[in-house]
Amino acid sequence: MAAVASGVGQRVPRTDSADKVTGRALYSADVFRPGMLHGAVLRSPHAHARIISVDASRAVALPGVHAVVTRDSLAADVALIVEEEAHAARRVLDLLAAEKVRYEGEKIALVAAETRELAEQAVALIEVVYEPLPALIDVAAAMLPGAPLIHDEQTVATLDDGQVLHNIAGQMHRTNGDLAAGWAAADRVFEDTYTIPRAHQTYLEPQVAVAEVDPQGRVTVWTSTQGHFAIQSNISKSLRLPLGDINVIGMTIGGGFGGKFGGVVDTYAVLLAQASGRPVKLVYSRHDEFLDGRPAPGLRITIKTGVTHDGRITARECWAYWDVGVGSGASWATGRIKGVYDIPAIALHAFEVHTNKPAPGAYRAPGAPQVTFASEAQLDSIAAALGIDPVELRLRNLPDDKPQVAFRRTLLAAAEQVDWAHRTAGPDEGWGVAIGEWTNGAGPAAAVVSLAPDGGAQLFYGLMDLTGTDTACAQIVAEVLDLPYERVRVTRGDTDSAPYGTGSGGSVALFSFGNAVRDAAQAAREQLLELAAAHFSDQAQAVTVADLETVDQQVRLRANPDKAASFAELATLALRQGGPVVGEGRFSPKPSAPTISAQIAKVHVDRGTGQVTLLEFAHALDVGRAISPVSCEGQMEGGAVQGLGWGLMEEMLYDPQTGRNLNPDLLDYRVPTSLDVPPQQTVLVEEPTTHGPFGAKGIGEPPIAPGIAALSNAIAAAVGVRLEHPPFTPERVWRALQGLDPGPART
Amino acid sequence: MKQVITLQINGQPREVTVEPRTRLLDALRDGLQLTGTKEGCGNGECGACTVLVDGRAVNSCLMLAVEAVGSAITTIEGLAQQGQLHPLQEAFRQHGALQCGICTPGMILAAKALLDEQPRPTRDEIRFHLAGNLCRCTGYQKIIDAVEAAAAALAD
Repeated sequence: MAAVASGVGQRVPRTDSADKVTGRALYSADVFRPGMLHGAVLRSPHAHARIISVDASRAVALPGVHAVVTRDSLAADVALIVEEEAHAARRVLDLLAAEKVRYEGEKIALVAAETRELAEQAVALIEVVYEPLPALIDVAAAMLPGAPLIHDEQTVATLDDGQVLHNIAGQMHRTNGDLAAGWAAADRVFEDTYTIPRAHQTYLEPQVAVAEVDPQGRVTVWTSTQGHFAIQSNISKSLRLPLGDINVIGMTIGGGFGGKFGGVVDTYAVLLAQASGRPVKLVYSRHDEFLDGRPAPGLRITIKTGVTHDGRITARECWAYWDVGVGSGASWATGRIKGVYDIPAIALHAFEVHTNKPAPGAYRAPGAPQVTFASEAQLDSIAAALGIDPVELRLRNLPDDKPQVAFRRTLLAAAEQVDWAHRTAGPDEGWGVAIGEWTNGAGPAAAVVSLAPDGGAQLFYGLMDLTGTDTACAQIVAEVLDLPYERVRVTRGDTDSAPYGTGSGGSVALFSFGNAVRDAAQAAREQLLELAAAHFSDQAQAVTVADLETVDQQVRLRANPDKAASFAELATLALRQGGPVVGEGRFSPKPSAPTISAQIAKVHVDRGTGQVTLLEFAHALDVGRAISPVSCEGQMEGGAVQGLGWGLMEEMLYDPQTGRNLNPDLLDYRVPTSLDVPPQQTVLVEEPTTHGPFGAKGIGEPPIAPGIAALSNAIAAAVGVRLEHPPFTPERVWRALQGLDPGPART
Repeated sequence: MKQVITLQINGQPREVTVEPRTRLLDALRDGLQLTGTKEGCGNGECGACTVLVDGRAVNSCLMLAVEAVGSAITTIEGLAQQGQLHPLQEAFRQHGALQCGICTPGMILAAKALLDEQPRPTRDEIRFHLAGNLCRCTGYQKIIDAVEAAAAALAD
């Protein structure tokens, strides 16, 4: 197979880039249906309160209002059910608050009206009488035996030692290895507690869906999602509709980062469309996002690590308390406390703790940034205490590289990028290193590749393009078929038309679909070559596929390049001989191999103001094989900045008295701007994995994991204070420099 | 109370029915179906709805439609000429300066306002001028690369 200029490994523009730079790309908010109404949501102003009564009569009477949905008007057997296959998570919650509201912003009633303003006016006319209850926003307070129960008696847990904890949604306890022996082998034992706040994915396109119901009750939803099959399933299970009666059309998505697997708009838009008999658009405001999104859970974690004098880890134990709000499902990520190191004995105790906050959702490498901060910040403290270079300490505990795994090579690539051994720092400047890990999952995938009569290829599948996967898959087709990638048209099917496929999350998309696409392209190629072999054969010579090669969108005889037929000629010939060229590819999950993201940050700390400025940043990632290097760099740079944002400025704040969100907008919940980011040096390490397409690994998740720790470590190196509660805001840093309590840590 | 106003958009007079409270953003998106202009926050905090009003980058969520009467408005739909992408649009494509694309129209228009004013900005000047336009996908590096490249292309 000849190298294709725009095939695997080549730097090409995204397939959707022309549409996106001209404003032609259609997102869900750009969907306008005939007769479309606009939805609005009545939300609880209280973080915790009993609902005494809901009176929607004035809203119903407002002219222009077509539907008002309250808890009383819902069927008894409906509930909000959200499943995220990519993250193996499942949540079941009330669709609308019933006897209690449990967080500020919880949905109480829905309205559909002629305009959004009218719908919001109607919402304001709904009268709710509340009896406020004490709000719990901190996991430590929520677990106390006297704490009010946010849900019910089933959330009271009694531990083996007899201790009683309140508001426990779930627990996980696990021990691997001989812990007693591990502690006995340790020369020193370190114990530290870290607290990581909730962070919002802050995709720039707020959640939005348009739903329509036909007279037979069949539902169509246009939505912004990472997995349209997941949305179809969520709606089906929540509203008890047959799966086949729901068609979900995934529009261009304006960012997701884990937060767009459903649960906040789609099902509600369908309820309003059912109630009104009209299409309904339901759009979250940015304020809604912060009140009733599904952000990353906060974490309070105590980690205890035993090491020998020469820095080898002998044992580790941790106690993790995840702030899961009214939901559940975060404790599994605690296992990442091991990192990628050889640790002979490790014990985990993880608790999911209810607070008066919305349920958490997935956010890029779910749980990894929080846990990795704890383990990698502590490792740096250990390095300092033992007088061992932080990179060297990590190397001493990393397993050897082997096929598919390049931990050491990746760390060394980042170190080399900044010439770590000879790094220099001015006054109040410091360098910090940290590594995060992830092994991509996989999901079911299928693809169809056909050849059009003009010789161009058509790729059809059910993959939501979140990260540039359409481009990478077009490059795979180009590579296999030996075509320029511009000649590959990619079409995403809706759930009515496309074969089932996993959503784009957990870094599974390219790993899974890339395999199906490669196989489909390969099957199409084989058909094409067989057709050409038959076409070239005559009485004098029987041509076989082995005699053929593809060059410049032609199939030709190796031995006689003059004997050639273009793809277009052959694809047209196929219409008369055997039928159109169509290849299919199918994939079911196969294992990948672990990868690390190694990051090194250089910071300057202003002792007067506490301001931390990023000066340099290097990042190495083992991508397996870079199918689309520009997209790989984009994932690394964007993911890293999300981690750095969590470390420097991002924190969902809640009033300790009322439990209300204190920063529900982008002015007060700050995300990095172009002024906050340093120049980034990205290094793609390529250690192919066996089952990845062309060796590719899933790479979207790991770039976010080590950033908070790298910052904390750099600050410690710069000014000698260890910050245990991100984000490292000027106030926290300044207080730490003054030897003051750095201020309340918030989960 | 609804009224019909005429806005000069991308060189063309366009009539649109608005209320006094209608935001320019809504007049463009809902009234004229110019959906290339995006809403990310509605508070002037993210820059996704940036359009050019008499050459200046403006958050169209913070301007009333009636305020824009008499001004020349440029939206992302007006940037490509005769099917030719503007050098900024081409540079964003070539440099991987876009991912999800929601910030892209506003980012490109904010960059155009800068380059119209200052044809060869430094990287720090680019960072400064784009600081009102949030991007959550790219980490900004490739956006800064693209604006720098577009400036060079426009200077040629």
